[in-house]
Amino acid sequence: MSETSTRRKFIDTTCRVVGFAALGGIGTILTTRASAHAVFQVDSLKCTSCDLCRTSCVLSLSAVKAVNEFSKCGYCMLCPAYMDVTSAPDEKGVPSGRVCPQDAIKRRVVGKEDLDDPNNNYYEYTVDEARCTGCGKCIKACKPPFGNGSLRLEIRYDRCVTCNECSIQIACPESAIVRVPAPGLSPLVTHGETANG
Amino acid sequence: METEARRYTPVATLAGRGTAAEFKRSLSGVAVGAGRVIHALGDGEVRVFDANGGVTRAWKAPEQAACLTVAPDGRVLIGLPGRVEIFSATGSRVGGFAAGQAGEPADVTAVKVVRDNVLVADANARLVRRYDATGVERGLIGNRHKTGSFMLPNGSLDIDVDAAGAVYATDTGRHQVTSWTLDGAPIAAFGKFGQTRPEDFVGCCNPVNLAVAPDGCVVTAEKVAARVKVFGPDRALLAVIGKEHFDPMCIHIHLAVDLNGRIVAADPVRRTITIFGRS
Repeated sequence: MSETSTRRKFIDTTCRVVGFAALGGIGTILTTRASAHAVFQVDSLKCTSCDLCRTSCVLSLSAVKAVNEFSKCGYCMLCPAYMDVTSAPDEKGVPSGRVCPQDAIKRRVVGKEDLDDPNNNYYEYTVDEARCTGCGKCIKACKPPFGNGSLRLEIRYDRCVTCNECSIQIACPESAIVRVPAPGLSPLVTHGETANG
Repeated sequence: METEARRYTPVATLAGRGTAAEFKRSLSGVAVGAGRVIHALGDGEVRVFDANGGVTRAWKAPEQAACLTVAPDGRVLIGLPGRVEIFSATGSRVGGFAAGQAGEPADVTAVKVVRDNVLVADANARLVRRYDATGVERGLIGNRHKTGSFMLPNGSLDIDVDAAGAVYATDTGRHQVTSWTLDGAPIAAFGKFGQTRPEDFVGCCNPVNLAVAPDGCVVTAEKVAARVKVFGPDRALLAVIGKEHFDPMCIHIHLAVDLNGRIVAADPVRRTITIFGRS
């Protein structure tokens, strides 16, 4: 074997090794970067509102909160997620009990309120996240056929501490906690609409 | 749960599972034409059933067809977003018109024909629009409510017409059935929310569907407790067709009543049409 041939083989091998190393490095960087930009979120199609989001989060007050998707909400006077429709009626015939054990769902009249007949009012429902524990009782109550299914559970990123391993994901029997590209699902709607008013 | 005043039992089932007429994907409307001929909308077509449950004819429905009715002259009117399409009794398209306002197409959830008027339930505007046969709007029904419209948290409005031409409409958020003249003047209303009395309506928004019988009875359908009720001409509850007959996930039970007072109920979840007769 000539000296030229040996040198050429050495250069060829070196280039291959360096090339593979570079590719591997780029792959690792991309994977790391993708992982850094992935976040946990609740897959509402799998979620059964089982209450484990409330009890499994490492935070004392779970980072999972109920959110209301206003485009689906019926703005019901008799919201089955807000009031316990089986509870005793008040003087206007409206059920007096509440579904949320923390009283975290708030409502306000959309437009001018009819004080004489609450049936003539539409109501906007919002969640007080400082109170919401993520128990999912309201989500269950809003599911069709009871309601329009506008409420769902969602991990709120201003609260989530992005654990390496999400303890809720480990606990979830439905594998409903999934990794999604940041910043998560579609932008949250945080204010109601007045279209129904 | 059934009251003593009347009792209804299933006398026939159309389009059941495994039958040749089975709806495999959808069932979104039912109507009774002259001679008790049942028309149903589902699987993207209109199917016409004979007395034995066989399909005598069928034709392709327009895309997004949402509801149908049969006019006294046999024409079939189909409602879809922003439009009403009109077919002959044999399925040839003979007309149609846009429904709604410019930039705000009607969400057509029910269509009825009374004399030379076509009534269109517009869940988007939460009103009933009255058109002439060519599609010229003649007036509105429901806008004389205190709120200017029906309350429809569930986004659906159903209507029917009695023998005298009075228009009946579901007002689901108020848990009422309301009746109106063709000119839009209110006639009466009945129903209220309640969990215990069988004549009351449960849930956020009920009744979701209705039909008026030839004898003036009003038949209603509810979700949550999927069931059908029959109210007499004095609006006293006569019968409850219990939830055992319907899928609990029904958010609609499409209704029609034939000339003999038999109730035709289409369950869109089970995709079956059940005929209930008095027993």
